[in-house]
Amino acid sequence: MRFLPHTEHDRKSMLDTIGMRDMRDLFADIPSEFHLPEGSLQLPDALCEADIVRKFTKAAERNRHAGNTRCFLGGGTYHHFVPAVVDYVISRGEFLTAYTPYQPEIAQGTLQTLFEFQTMVARLLNMEVANASMYDAATAVAEAALMSKRITRKSRTVIAASVNPRYREVTRNYLSQQQGETVEVSCNGFTTDISALIDAIDDQTACVIVQYPDFYGSLYDLSPLREACDANKCLMVVAFSDASAFGLIEPPGSFGADIVCGSGQALGIPMGFGGPHIGLFACRQKHVRQMPGRLCGMTQDSDDKRGFVLTLSTREQHIRREKATSNICSNQGLMCTANACYMTLMGDAGLKQIARRSAAALQQLISALPTHVLAAAGTHYNETVLSFADTNTRDGFLNTARERDIFAGIPLEHIERGSDANHLLVATTEMIGEQDVADYLAALEATR
Amino acid sequence: MSAHTYSAASGLQHEEPLLFEHAHEAATSISLPGIDADTTHLKDFERRNEAKIPGLSEPEAVRHFVRLSQWNHGIETGFYPLGSCTMKYNPRVNEQVVRLPGLAHAHPDQPQDSLQGLLALLHELQTWLGEISGLPHVTLQPAAGAHGELAGMMMIRAYHDARGDVKRRKVLVPDSAHGTNPASAVLAGLHTVEIKSAANGRIDLAALKANLDDETAALMLTNPNTTGMFESDIREICELVHQAGGLVYGDGANLNALVGIARPGDMGIDCLHINVHKTFSTPHGGGGPGAGPVAVNDLLAPFLPVPRIEKHEDNYQIVHTGEQSIGAVFGSIGQTGVLLRATAYIAAFGRNHLHKIAEDAVLNANYVLARLKEAYHVPFPGLCKHECLLTDAYQERHGVKTLDIAKRLIDLGMHPMTVYFPLIVHGAMLIEPTETEAKETLDSFCDAMLEIAAQCETGDTSELHDAPRRPIRRRMDETQAARSPVLVWPQD
Repeated sequence: MRFLPHTEHDRKSMLDTIGMRDMRDLFADIPSEFHLPEGSLQLPDALCEADIVRKFTKAAERNRHAGNTRCFLGGGTYHHFVPAVVDYVISRGEFLTAYTPYQPEIAQGTLQTLFEFQTMVARLLNMEVANASMYDAATAVAEAALMSKRITRKSRTVIAASVNPRYREVTRNYLSQQQGETVEVSCNGFTTDISALIDAIDDQTACVIVQYPDFYGSLYDLSPLREACDANKCLMVVAFSDASAFGLIEPPGSFGADIVCGSGQALGIPMGFGGPHIGLFACRQKHVRQMPGRLCGMTQDSDDKRGFVLTLSTREQHIRREKATSNICSNQGLMCTANACYMTLMGDAGLKQIARRSAAALQQLISALPTHVLAAAGTHYNETVLSFADTNTRDGFLNTARERDIFAGIPLEHIERGSDANHLLVATTEMIGEQDVADYLAALEATR
Repeated sequence: MSAHTYSAASGLQHEEPLLFEHAHEAATSISLPGIDADTTHLKDFERRNEAKIPGLSEPEAVRHFVRLSQWNHGIETGFYPLGSCTMKYNPRVNEQVVRLPGLAHAHPDQPQDSLQGLLALLHELQTWLGEISGLPHVTLQPAAGAHGELAGMMMIRAYHDARGDVKRRKVLVPDSAHGTNPASAVLAGLHTVEIKSAANGRIDLAALKANLDDETAALMLTNPNTTGMFESDIREICELVHQAGGLVYGDGANLNALVGIARPGDMGIDCLHINVHKTFSTPHGGGGPGAGPVAVNDLLAPFLPVPRIEKHEDNYQIVHTGEQSIGAVFGSIGQTGVLLRATAYIAAFGRNHLHKIAEDAVLNANYVLARLKEAYHVPFPGLCKHECLLTDAYQERHGVKTLDIAKRLIDLGMHPMTVYFPLIVHGAMLIEPTETEAKETLDSFCDAMLEIAAQCETGDTSELHDAPRRPIRRRMDETQAARSPVLVWPQD
């Protein structure tokens, strides 16, 4: 077996050192009734490397994907360009095959990268501190809700219905294990109803959770929310799903958000059928001791040289056990490296260009829509809802578009269960060109 | 004494500034696709101040991150015997296949008929994990081991609640357990009671019995446990918990000791998470991503999270609803890229070779134990499984502690073992060599450990207290880091 270095001679001589005769003696402490007869598991026989490549290639070729279509799908996962350098850097064995940096002297590469990552995330979101990642946006929102309850010692959570339904479901499921009420505030049309949210906040509210841009891609004035939160001493939590927005758009930190969390997938991570992505999580410095997840901090070594370590670990499960701020242990470490590398290649100017192009493609599309299709009202970043007369018209268009190698959008009810079946959630990125928009519009015309 | 390789001391060592200290003005090195048109409609929403993300040109960025990478020790660099972490070789072919465009660039909300190849691979993994664990119903959704624990405890709670048995909120956790166990139970709204281990490092049956009652939701059990010993009373343990109306949650972090040899499901475990980044060799990435699929028996199957993948004749479907399901615990179907690597790993061993993983892993741990058991104190003597536990009791007499031994190993070219865990042993050193290490590597580790033990006897221990001397940085001031945390680089 190619991953196992021992020869039979090695095994024999090692057994001799141990004082055993047979490999099976190594398992003498497992009651014999549980020993599986060799080869009895219902698994296929071992594949050689060439056959593994063949198996996966065959499976991969059965799929369509963003590389051989024009992808207008979003809903929390976006087809942005990933520079080759990002994948090269995260493929380096020193990053790829290292463990959590518990021994800082031989993990300064990971640690300095994490410090750079935390700094860039905080700057992008205009927040004071960021942690070294959560699993994904949905669990990050759930952790933000739990953190708010710890900080405020209040039990009620208010969440806007215009937050991605998947984030809401995971948050609801996490919160339902604890005491306290979770209130969802419905929205009017495909945007966020700030005044309804403000009305829902009371003095028992630990936090109010909104998304910006919201699930429908809508931008709105966040500032009234801060005042309402102050009046009720509740925390303002802002989620996001496409971090590229903040290369151009004023980030939630500028509106005084207490916790900002969402997906970093847009920043150099392929869609990969839903993972691994990354949850970004930022907050105010004063709340850092209630934060979930790992944190990297700057310090000095015994020669007074600058270095980095994992810090504030007294919050964490391996020290605090049942009193920890979260149970998270493994996180999305390598994805932090991908985000850090991506942002380094882009810089402010590149990030702004990505955001502009992502938004420009959508603007070009909705400004030329045929009359039988309605785009959601309001200002949208790179995602919106298109509405059709009925399900048949919409699905007819989806099929036509697909014949033309276009994934034209996500039927809204696939994510937002129970919504009418005549809407499409449509997203664009810099990967959508003029011709792609023209082809999309032509497919719409063809199914008028 | 065999030749050592020095982890951070070969070739040139470069100091590398932080990105934010690179002197020149930000550059963007990317030529971008797409539509370069105005976005005046967003004017009212634009950032007023730049984020100050420092751009580097492509050659500079590559050099920055390659230099940083060279300050790391990884499994590809050298031996990494971290107990309870299963740092085994990560096959390169797995990296290659997950980057196939049909896998890497698939969107989770594509039409399902355009995803059949992907769904087939994931469904295959579901089936294989069920077979390997002896627990046939599997969710791939949890993103890591601790996340699997949370999902498992939520299912167990839902199971009791569905039976109207709503006072079962107590979870028994051995004092040797991973810290995630109690933290996950609490996150699922349960409370924990710690069970003291017996003098032999295993579950104390009397203590277990004394704590079982009609409020017991579950026992969380790691087997082999974190001292590296197999809980040979496993059948009786499970029976006791079941008789009291509780369920047994298995922490699968140590599955590498059993894979292909014996199945937790056959022993009476009801629910098990599997750290595919341990047992099935997906790379740890400096902290993640991992994946923690959970396998359960028939009792818990109705409560599995959604979405799940089901096969109907030749068609694979993503199922989003389940009447009694605990719902979603993650924003997608799972960490697909990680899960696919695990699929490739299992495929490479298959029915005929899978048990060799556990065999060589357990052989290697026992070999290390046999070579070190005279020089180091062994708190729980006897056969170990995939990892062995030593302490610094003999060395402490000479003023040398576990931490010194760990740091000296760095100078001798290897990553230290897990230190000060499990908590039930003073000065613990938990060593997990894994099956992918050659005898030569194990020998050089044992030689290094014996050299350290001998050094303690001579009384000249300065090399130990000063260690590490060779890497780019020496011992860090962790107190300062925690007292006044600096977590981001200040703005200019």
